Amino acid sequence: MGMKNNRAMLEQFIVDYKENIYRLAYSYVHNKADALDIVQESIYKAMKTKSSLQDPGAMKSWFYRIVVHTALDLLRKQKKVQPMEEEQLHAFMYQSEDAYADVDIQQTLEQLPEKYRAVLVLRFFEDLTFEEVADVLRENINTVKTRLYQALKLLRIQMESTAPERRRENGSTS
Amino acid sequence: MDRRLEQLKQEYSQVPIPEELDFVVREALNQTRRRKPVFRKYMAGVGAAAIVLVAGINMSPALAQPLSEVPVVGSIVKVLTFREYKIDNGTTQANIQVPAITNLENKTLEQTLNNKYLEESKKLYDDFIVEMNELKQKGGGHMGVDSGYVVKTDTDRILAVGRYVVNTVGSSSTTFKYDTIDKENQVLLTLPGLFRDDQYINLISETIKEQMREQMKADPQKIYWVEGTGNEMPESNFKAIAPDQSFYINKDGKLVIVFDKYEVAPGYMGVVEFTILTSALADVLVSNEYIK
Repeated sequence: MGMKNNRAMLEQFIVDYKENIYRLAYSYVHNKADALDIVQESIYKAMKTKSSLQDPGAMKSWFYRIVVHTALDLLRKQKKVQPMEEEQLHAFMYQSEDAYADVDIQQTLEQLPEKYRAVLVLRFFEDLTFEEVADVLRENINTVKTRLYQALKLLRIQMESTAPERRRENGSTS
Repeated sequence: MDRRLEQLKQEYSQVPIPEELDFVVREALNQTRRRKPVFRKYMAGVGAAAIVLVAGINMSPALAQPLSEVPVVGSIVKVLTFREYKIDNGTTQANIQVPAITNLENKTLEQTLNNKYLEESKKLYDDFIVEMNELKQKGGGHMGVDSGYVVKTDTDRILAVGRYVVNTVGSSSTTFKYDTIDKENQVLLTLPGLFRDDQYINLISETIKEQMREQMKADPQKIYWVEGTGNEMPESNFKAIAPDQSFYINKDGKLVIVFDKYEVAPGYMGVVEFTILTSALADVLVSNEYIK
């Protein structure tokens, strides 16, 4: 695979996926200006480091990884990223059903701690495979699966077909 | 799939796509495509002329001596705004100031620089018009370009002019280019010309990496892409400066290395500068004429 070919493929990918890239960025920052900034910066970074992409088949997860890191860099600057504290997790786990029902769903997704939201967005909304999600987040597949399961649990979503088997052992959410 | 998850997915996919997205993407692709060749072309012309002059001075103190005994020349060399391009129709704005250097006795150098300034500004303006018309056809949107110059250093000896371009299409990108002129000897200084050999590249790069890590330790809001800081994307780490990396010499005679936005750090860090301690360069400097 020549460099030129690689560049052409990457450019094509960016053009084809620009809306997905934007939405992924938006899911982190929730505003247009920052999301556009992340898109732009990710493109610069990708173009600069494209030689590090060994396998063109992995372009999607490679590029998404750049987007995720660019978004996290920005959030870190804006100090919007909160580390996942125990109490925060507790608040999620033990919200009463009544209180929960009042919360707007989108709001809930936004409130979901970043590491849980990321797996959910990438796996279900961007339709990446578990392998790709693991590659984007640089985690192993089992960690990704566990996190996805926890994310769904936090959102009180019952997954009949996709939930890992461990679900039953860990007890139900309600 | 669960109904609630389905609903979340739908909301996710309904995040409105701003009309600027097309332009942000295209602009970013264009810039990565054209950045290098344009730069090279200009540097080839200016560099060739300058290297000869710098070499002459570095290698022959006898030649440098008589020239530096003309002290008056330096003080009258000035930078002024030669021309301005302005467009403002609400959503699209361009403000381009073209600097010109005057009163250099070395007219070849003066003209080379001023032609470069004018050509680059003209190109910026023309590109902007093309893009503005494209945007109009697409139904409009916001875009702007702001270009101008700052005089970074103006001492008896050194004149450093920095020219910046800020592109705003939804978000913004910034580039800075510097020219540092020795007013006494009437030459344009180049980075390689200041040093004995190529060792300066490694020496300066390592100093900068050290500074990056120290700054990040001192201020958690600062991020540079550099090894040893847990950057999870090591391939984007800063490795070394370019041999002709953007630089200027500040009023204290210190070398300042400049990186464009996105070059070594996330966009919010903007254009970043590193002042290099002269003691770190002692072994490779040609002389302490400029850098003290």
